[in-house]
Amino acid sequence: MINLTINGKTIEVEDGTTVLNAARQNDIKIPTLCDHPNLTPYGGCRLCMVEVKGMRVPIAACTLPASNGMVIETETPALKTSRNVILSLLFSERNHFCPFCQVSGGDCELQNAAYDEHMTHWPIQPQWTNFPVDTSHPFFILDNNRCILCRRCIRACAEMSGNFTLNVEERGSATIVVADTNVPLGQSSCISCGSCVQVCPTGALIDRQSAYLGHDKNLTTTRSICRGCSLGCGIQIHTRDNRIVKITGDYEAANAGTLCKYGRFFPVEQKQARITSPMKRVGKQLVATTWEDALATLTTNIKPLKGKVAALASTRLSVEALSTFKSLFKEGLGSDMVTSVEEGRPTALQATYVDKNGSPIEGKLDTLRTADCVLLVGVDLANTHEVAGFYIKRNIPKGTRLIVIDPNENGMDDQANINLKPKAGTDEAVFNAIEASVIKEGLARTGAKKGKSTLAAALKVCGLAEEDVKDTARMLAESVAPVIVFGKGISMSGDSAVMDAMVRVANVIGASDSERKGLFSVKGEANSLAASLLGLEDVFEVKNHKAAYIAMGDDYVTKRLIAKLEKIPYLIVQASYESELTERADLVLPVDIWAEETGHSLNLDGHLQLAYAALTAPEGVHSNLNVLNEVARALGVTVNDDWHAALTKRTSVVELDL
Amino acid sequence: MTKPKISSDWMAGCSGCHMSLLDIDERLLEIAELADIRATPITDLKEPDESGVDVGILEGGVNNSSNEEVAHRMRSRCKILVAFGDCAVFGGVPALRNMCGTQEALQRAYVDIESNEANSKIPSDPELATMSNVRALHEVVKVDLHVPGCPPDPDVIYYVLKELAEGRMPDMKDENLHWH
Repeated sequence: MINLTINGKTIEVEDGTTVLNAARQNDIKIPTLCDHPNLTPYGGCRLCMVEVKGMRVPIAACTLPASNGMVIETETPALKTSRNVILSLLFSERNHFCPFCQVSGGDCELQNAAYDEHMTHWPIQPQWTNFPVDTSHPFFILDNNRCILCRRCIRACAEMSGNFTLNVEERGSATIVVADTNVPLGQSSCISCGSCVQVCPTGALIDRQSAYLGHDKNLTTTRSICRGCSLGCGIQIHTRDNRIVKITGDYEAANAGTLCKYGRFFPVEQKQARITSPMKRVGKQLVATTWEDALATLTTNIKPLKGKVAALASTRLSVEALSTFKSLFKEGLGSDMVTSVEEGRPTALQATYVDKNGSPIEGKLDTLRTADCVLLVGVDLANTHEVAGFYIKRNIPKGTRLIVIDPNENGMDDQANINLKPKAGTDEAVFNAIEASVIKEGLARTGAKKGKSTLAAALKVCGLAEEDVKDTARMLAESVAPVIVFGKGISMSGDSAVMDAMVRVANVIGASDSERKGLFSVKGEANSLAASLLGLEDVFEVKNHKAAYIAMGDDYVTKRLIAKLEKIPYLIVQASYESELTERADLVLPVDIWAEETGHSLNLDGHLQLAYAALTAPEGVHSNLNVLNEVARALGVTVNDDWHAALTKRTSVVELDL
Repeated sequence: MTKPKISSDWMAGCSGCHMSLLDIDERLLEIAELADIRATPITDLKEPDESGVDVGILEGGVNNSSNEEVAHRMRSRCKILVAFGDCAVFGGVPALRNMCGTQEALQRAYVDIESNEANSKIPSDPELATMSNVRALHEVVKVDLHVPGCPPDPDVIYYVLKELAEGRMPDMKDENLHWH
């Protein structure tokens, strides 16, 4: 610990803390514009200059490590003058006229800094130069006229999402923020994660969805969990008049503020038509009805069928709802087909492996932070579970190496040190080849002398070049903390031999051993793991089922599901939005969308998180859990509401953090 | 003690700041009690007294030779000059034309705009004021107090007028400081 004095107050901070952070931790305000608690200090704006006893000139507090006995002053007349000059120069550089800027009036850090210094005017007037405005991006606008060149957006692009799209061009006051080699943002390598917009201190990066819809002080903020995928990123949902204005990443959560476009922008744009009343089929028409009548109709049609009802639930539903769903249909009605719409495709293979072997094999997402070599197989992290991809991409400049195995084009190909393109469906042979190559190079951490297959035989099957496999084997086995990330591409195979081969590779390269678990799967939607633990992962087959109950929630309806339901005579759909599925239904029960209900999510590495409702559902619409409970009551079924116990009946693929 | 004399005028602005002044409602009577309100665009007198006033208030930026005259006249006839509203303080919305230049702005407004008749011309009567870049008031004359805002909030205007009327210099900070 370090003791230092700021403005006469002695404080204690941890080693390595900057003076600015030391002040922050002790509620001493040092103004800054370029510094952001979640980004590497940059020392660009010079607003945080402080006087340090014994030093000849003022120093920027954001880049100055605190040291023992330091005596610091932050409010001397000289420093106040210097801040005033810095702000004057900033205002003189661009067009910072406030009246027509959407952040003016509370959300602009530049304006707030000027207010804090009691600036009533600009001592130096602007230089009246037009800077480019880039409106080519679907989600935000880059207005260089409002930019103060703090480079927070550039650092966020690099450090939060690892995308390295934003940078600067030109020098001095002509400097502008550009994408790639100054191409329009909409045509650049930008992946629309929006981290840059979230950290911009001025109105230079304008969020199209939320601009002019109110300042932060007008919005209600709810801390919640993204339901976009199994990563379960922390989010803040900002609402006004029961509408989502914007979604921002929660800096306090594991994702530390980072989100992808599916978490940040897409849910705000939701334009699908809502269902606001129960509906039943009368002749060829779906007509609105009451809940009472809907439940009575359901009872009449379902009760006599008993086990002949197939039931499917979306894995976007909360843990509570999924557990109740299972209890209702499996235990209550004794149905032989109770599963999720994912049908275990992203989870069943590894869950079955664990059923057989008895203990968790998967590690935590956190292992990616320290991984020095990552093997991606059967997953394209540029298209799904993007934030996990960011964890990898942002470490690449720090030396983390990446290997991508994918028979098809993969969004992470460009970042990879090695791309292996084996023949499709030869995953087992690929793993066998890597295992054999590691052993041949004498690098096996397990001390194994012989692989499952010979290198030559395996290469012949997968069609890879020996040299490439050798490079892969060396890169993996020679790294200190390798991690294997796999996805649906592997688990969908349903082939236990593939799983066995992958685990053997994890062992020989030292990714997984008694100490470490450097192997994990990204799974599917928000509650994919919970669905797997509840055993909702059978392949959906229509046998002699006379009816189907689909608890769709607000999930997207696939053609595949519609096709499978073709032969079902009576279809009950519990859904938020109108879809091809509800059109086909005989009975429709309207439910909340994700942001309207409070419930738990169990993310891919077993971390249980409570997502809070941010919106009030339209009248007549109930939560997924309540509807399932109502259905149970109508059918006279007692459901087990101990979801906690239900989750722990099966050994999890990853240690649970309940 | 005689009441302090207050006078105001407007230049390149939208008169919104004076409208906001009227928005102080019944408190206007209180100010009229405390101060002697002289020439303003909304009273009968049209020029500040030649003998001088205590407080001169100017709305709007300085956009042409006529505005310059108004600015210099007010400056020479008042003790405390107040730049009133964002246009007087910063240049404001009219100053956006500085980005393209006066000539291009005139061309667009008088000739190119779709609603103009064919053969429209930029007015060139020699009696018209000569246009310039739009400047903040402090670029033209010395300003003693800046009251930013687009427009300044009525509560801020009341605070400023009351302080000035009672012989104090307003302290422009915290809830009284808004640029909008």
